[in-house]
Amino acid sequence: MKKYVISGLLALSFVVAGTSLAGDEFEAAWQAADDKRKEAASMKSEWRDTKKMLDKAKQAAEKGDMDAAMSLVAMAHEQAADGIEQAERESVMWITRVPR
Amino acid sequence: MLRKYAILLGAVMALAWSSTYANPEDDRMAFEKYFTTKFPEVPLNDFQNGIYSVDPVARADWEQIEEFPPYELAIDAGEAEYNKPFANGKSYSDCFGDGAVRGQYPYWDSERKEVITMELAINECRTSNGEEPLRWNKGKIAELSAYMSYISRGQTVDVKIPEDDPEALAAYERGKQFYYTKRGQLNFSCFDCHGTGAGKGVRLEKLSPALGHTTHWPVYRSKWGAVGTLHRRFGGCNRQVRAKNFKSQGQEYRELEYFLTYMSNGHELNGPGARR
Repeated sequence: MKKYVISGLLALSFVVAGTSLAGDEFEAAWQAADDKRKEAASMKSEWRDTKKMLDKAKQAAEKGDMDAAMSLVAMAHEQAADGIEQAERESVMWITRVPR
Repeated sequence: MLRKYAILLGAVMALAWSSTYANPEDDRMAFEKYFTTKFPEVPLNDFQNGIYSVDPVARADWEQIEEFPPYELAIDAGEAEYNKPFANGKSYSDCFGDGAVRGQYPYWDSERKEVITMELAINECRTSNGEEPLRWNKGKIAELSAYMSYISRGQTVDVKIPEDDPEALAAYERGKQFYYTKRGQLNFSCFDCHGTGAGKGVRLEKLSPALGHTTHWPVYRSKWGAVGTLHRRFGGCNRQVRAKNFKSQGQEYRELEYFLTYMSNGHELNGPGARR
């Protein structure tokens, strides 16, 4: 009986540690994506849905759906990075569209 | 590395391009020529009718709508609001006289170093008289704007960029850069839709040409079921290409309005308008 209790407690501690690790990983990824979004915004190149994705990611994490949360964070990060690249490209390319 | 070379190549192209054109009047003439060449059958003074200048089927519907225009109630409401005294006894007429001032906006304020739009001036008139500012995009401000535009009909767009103030030119240039910059997930510039894309179909609608775009605001849009301001439309366009929109009457949209209205210099004001 004692063995079962110890095994159970150990398993529980692994789950808690795992959840906490996943939580830390999520928080770091979320913050990195949000920083990227703010960088895109500072270049006037934030995309419409990036912030929504980050908000949804938080909601998913609160519900414990870490796969969905991390997936949304990754998409938001990619959008923000694309917005930055777009702004860099457009800072020189825009003028080629001016009629002459 | 490839990205850096692409940007460098772009910079060289852009430099070659920008050396060709440098002043707003050259910009405006080239802009006008672009549309008159693209739509040779459209008389110059018809571009102020937006999409109806290039889409005969939609025009027939619009002409019928104009017999009982849906913006009439907004004009009436705007007139009533215009003539209603503020709590301090003054009214809009102390700021705008008879109210037929649409043709004076937008303008560059050399003291404040910023673009002043008519909607901004309406709210500043209110706050300087102790009233709460109105919300920017719709409702009372759009109704006031509709009334003031209506009684300004027939005036000519005449935006000035003071030559003795380089900051005015810088604001114009920022508005111009905004206009031609691709943004959002769909990677569209304003000009992609309303320049190169003008007259082409998007779902069931055709895209309007940009020449004359600012002459008929505010607009009653069937989609809105009410009149809305130009900046409301700017925000909607940005969201449609999946870019985050900017604040109405913020610096970005006021400078965009400054540039875009300058492009329609010489056109007749015919607001408010009705659109689908």
